[in-house]
Amino acid sequence: MWRTFSSTFWRNYLTMRRAYPWSFFIGHILSGIYTVLFAYLTYIYVFAGQMDSRFAGFSGTGDYISYVVLGGTVYSLAVSMLMIVSRSLITELREGSLEALLLTPCSRKGYFLGTGLQGLMRVGIEFSVIILIGWIFGLNLRKMDGIASFVVLTLTICSFFTQALVLGSVMLYFRDTYISQNTLFVVMSLVSGVMFPVQYLPAWLHPVSWIMPLNYGLQAFRRSVIEGSGLWASRNDLAALIVLSLVYLVIGAWAIQATEKIVVEKIFD
Amino acid sequence: MLSAVNLRKVYITKEKQGIFRTWKKEVIAVESLDLEIKPGEIVGLLGINGAGKTTTIKMLSTLLLPTAGSIVIDGIDALKEPMKVKKMVNMIAGGERMLYWRLTARENLSYFGSLYGLNGKALTDRIAFLLKEVELEEAADIPVERYSKGMKQRLQIARGLINDPCYLFLDEPTLGLDAPIAKHLREYIRHLAVQEGKGILLTSHYLSEVEALCNRVYIIDRGALVLHDTPENIIRDVSAGAILSVWVSELQNTMLESLTKVLLPFEASLTVIKQSDGVELRVQSKQDVTALVLQHLFEHGVTLQRLEVEKPKLEDAILTLAGRAVAARETA
Repeated sequence: MWRTFSSTFWRNYLTMRRAYPWSFFIGHILSGIYTVLFAYLTYIYVFAGQMDSRFAGFSGTGDYISYVVLGGTVYSLAVSMLMIVSRSLITELREGSLEALLLTPCSRKGYFLGTGLQGLMRVGIEFSVIILIGWIFGLNLRKMDGIASFVVLTLTICSFFTQALVLGSVMLYFRDTYISQNTLFVVMSLVSGVMFPVQYLPAWLHPVSWIMPLNYGLQAFRRSVIEGSGLWASRNDLAALIVLSLVYLVIGAWAIQATEKIVVEKIFD
Repeated sequence: MLSAVNLRKVYITKEKQGIFRTWKKEVIAVESLDLEIKPGEIVGLLGINGAGKTTTIKMLSTLLLPTAGSIVIDGIDALKEPMKVKKMVNMIAGGERMLYWRLTARENLSYFGSLYGLNGKALTDRIAFLLKEVELEEAADIPVERYSKGMKQRLQIARGLINDPCYLFLDEPTLGLDAPIAKHLREYIRHLAVQEGKGILLTSHYLSEVEALCNRVYIIDRGALVLHDTPENIIRDVSAGAILSVWVSELQNTMLESLTKVLLPFEASLTVIKQSDGVELRVQSKQDVTALVLQHLFEHGVTLQRLEVEKPKLEDAILTLAGRAVAARETA
């Protein structure tokens, strides 16, 4: 597994260095910045800096700018990670290298881990740039618990990785990237508390947020960054995040294997 | 030895009827196919119509699971232990797929080699050896997207050999290649079997290639085995035989009648074609009647202008078999 992991990491790194479409990179940063900018302008000029009294109760903070900057940043990170991992096999299929890959006795775990971790290099840069710009717009980092934030972010990234396995198998099965990923991203942005707390949504939509790792990761991350809370304060969210990650991992690992077999039959003949 | 017994593959396809209605349809790609490849031999797999060659190769290379049957490679069950078998086999397909175009040849081989568990000096040495074998040493550090079709195909061969497979499956390996490159590749395929003892399964639309390279040939029609033998035996048994063409200045009717009688026991067909400068006698027979015809002509004082013998090819045999298959289906 580790040999597949390191060689896939290196292969993707070489590909990125040689032929990475930088418009993707700028696009992801811009979409994060637009989210922040939109929320900032709405907050300042539409709501005149006044939030609904329920907001603090729902979100646990009265700092909407920090709330929305972190929402936009982690959402952008989720989108990038999901895209990098979930599109890997379908990209192999489209570029004609899937057969050669499936012929080898390589570990699929190593393959996805290598893809995910290499993608994290780029995503990390995007994340830092958006945080920096968010800070200029008023993101408050004074109380931040660095260790707790790091642990929460790491767990959240792991959960995105497992969710990407499920999304990847859906993409591979339907041989579609655009509709599958964009449907998920729109639903995710709506029900995961990216720009406003989930509680504002009608009750029948809440269950959808329960299956989104972004929802739990974001709440815990905000708590440790804005309020400076430790890991214990976010234990429920972290537990949900871990359980959800395990569920997605099991489903994803099974689905990828099953879909590979179906795709080989569907496509190669 | 690679041994496939009673191999069967059925695809379930969905047929659309209107906008919303679909129904499932079974398509038999391979039916009860028995196949053997011994180390050091090149075996051809030829198809007549919708033959299932690629499906067979994909089952043998563990890409596809057969619906029924067994595949055993050097004592290992490919269906139970596919990961072990993957290390022993490889596949090379025609065209420009199965490579990473943004990587160089060296990087491609390094990646695939590591997926097969190679590393360190063993991997570096193997890459250097293969790059030399396929004559890509000078282009080793250029991204594949800048390669010509022939270079990509040569790199594919190196990729297919990176794990030093015991059995190699070649699916149209010379497709679209220039004649000199295709010739070089054929020589290399022979070298792999004869010198390195690899068992090779070859499918190709270029029947002369199969005839020149293969020790044995399996011919399948709609997934089922039609014939299995050496190319020589297939040609002898299936085709109508060699064509002897003799050009003479003139021919008496009596001589023609006597020649017909002489040829009668050999089930030879005799055709007389009048040319502007004489007559062409065309005799087709499964047995060699050249000496007999010439002796008869000399005895009758006929002067020969020219003589040609056209030996039947595997292509003729396949065409005959295709004709028979179509006729059988029409009758059915």
